[in-house]
Amino acid sequence: MHHHARFLLLIPAVLVLVCFLVLPLGFLVRHSFYLSELGQSPKGAATLANYAELFGDRFYVLIIFKTIWMSLLITATALLAGYPLAYFLWRSVDRWRGVLMVIVLAPLIVSIVVSAYGWTILLGNTGLVNQLLLGLGLIATPLKLMHTDLAIMIGLTHVVLPFTVLSVFASLERIDPFVREAAQTLGAKDWRVFLHVVLPLSLPGIVSGTTLAFSVSVASYVAPAVLGGSGPNFISTMIYHQLITLMNWPLGSALAAVLMVVALGLVFAYLRFWSLFGGVAFHGRTAEAR
Amino acid sequence: MFKRTLLIYCCLLMLFLLAPSIIVIVSSFGADAVTQFPPRSFSLRWYENALSQPIFLQAAKNSAWLAAVATGIATPIALAASVALVRSRFPGRDALQSLLLAPLVVPAIVTGLAILVTLSAFGLRDVTTRLVGAHVVIVLPYLVRTITVSLTQIDSSLEECARTLGARGLTAFWYVTLPLIRPGIVAGMLFSFILSFDNVSASLFLTNVRTNTLPLAMLNYVEFNFDPSLAAISTMVLVFALGGAVLVERVVGLKRVVGG
Repeated sequence: MHHHARFLLLIPAVLVLVCFLVLPLGFLVRHSFYLSELGQSPKGAATLANYAELFGDRFYVLIIFKTIWMSLLITATALLAGYPLAYFLWRSVDRWRGVLMVIVLAPLIVSIVVSAYGWTILLGNTGLVNQLLLGLGLIATPLKLMHTDLAIMIGLTHVVLPFTVLSVFASLERIDPFVREAAQTLGAKDWRVFLHVVLPLSLPGIVSGTTLAFSVSVASYVAPAVLGGSGPNFISTMIYHQLITLMNWPLGSALAAVLMVVALGLVFAYLRFWSLFGGVAFHGRTAEAR
Repeated sequence: MFKRTLLIYCCLLMLFLLAPSIIVIVSSFGADAVTQFPPRSFSLRWYENALSQPIFLQAAKNSAWLAAVATGIATPIALAASVALVRSRFPGRDALQSLLLAPLVVPAIVTGLAILVTLSAFGLRDVTTRLVGAHVVIVLPYLVRTITVSLTQIDSSLEECARTLGARGLTAFWYVTLPLIRPGIVAGMLFSFILSFDNVSASLFLTNVRTNTLPLAMLNYVEFNFDPSLAAISTMVLVFALGGAVLVERVVGLKRVVGG
């Protein structure tokens, strides 16, 4: 094949993505501006009625904010909990890296349904956590842990931890070992080396890790559906409820459009913020100059 | 002091990461009718029970078929696209690269719903078509990423050499470049298979009563049943996924596939 004709190789991929992603997303958005009978195609003129219903009802607005708020909380937890593990992974000997890597990635490798089921067994009224607390005499009656927001928090933090750990680890690995040694040679104590050299240089990993964690959390379905309380409590479970239980496709489509805007919009704004105000951080080398 | 604290903390966190899997594996060997951890007595009866349930068996077959077909279709498409992205410069290249990675940022549940709404509008209610379409889209960016990384790591002058020595373009690619990037392709395919096999969000609205995938069948089951047969099924899926992951780690390293 000729050199300049190579871009033609992109045609199959573009075709697939246009047919099964771009056009469908356009259709979905269009769908959200129409009304329809149960499970029927939309009819009549375009209307904002679905969005008016969505944003006029406290119930929906609350679920949207709850999804965002909990995802932010989960992302922050995953970053704070995961950073030391990334650091540990970075300082570990090569021989152990493979095993450690598989453990860190376990939540992604194991089906999320399996994980959610594991938490169900662990957090139930007769589960291990309650058995332990009862056995130690810390509580008199079993705590309600399952079907709560706390259970969603635990389940989702577990799912997104690999993203923060691996992203931070990747950026730590890019740090030139001499930079650390230089700081040490010049007499900086360990914690100062960490605070002034390692932490700033790992900022790109922090940004990409939190971005991934937030996008995964905000769009997640299984954890809120299995571990959360009865009734929809995340945007995704609400979409399911509209589609399958109420058969209200247009309202479900409007909710899906909102989820897409929330997921993409917040991530975009976040990355934009970092490139405007922390721009140097993206180029590990120049960060040293600060 | 600091080192020991860090070590203990990291061991606890890794225990947290493994906790659900360990719980599921151990309780799958329980003998009681209700899933217990730790089980009071052990038996293999729930494996027998799980393997005798046609819902699970059929769903497992569907999922394996779907994962294999989606990976089979997506791999050559991703390979062609990666070659174009790595080996040529043309206007709009960055935009196309973003398009190829777009399925990563669009929530999978939205992708699935969009495909349902669109295909239904055109009167296409065939479950197979929409499931395969959705899964190809979901796995495509991962394949593109692994293959792109492999391609950038090999020396492109090798293929040029072959061509200078008289090999035609496709021959040079087939005998020189392809063998060099084979580990990357294999790892990408394995990961893509696992990803598709485990997918819930994209399939959620696309299956029906007759055609279900294993994760969705398990999700339905967990809502209404609490016997360890689900733990038995989960353990089998888990062993298979972990085996795949270890294989990927051996071949190219997991880090490269998941990215960071």
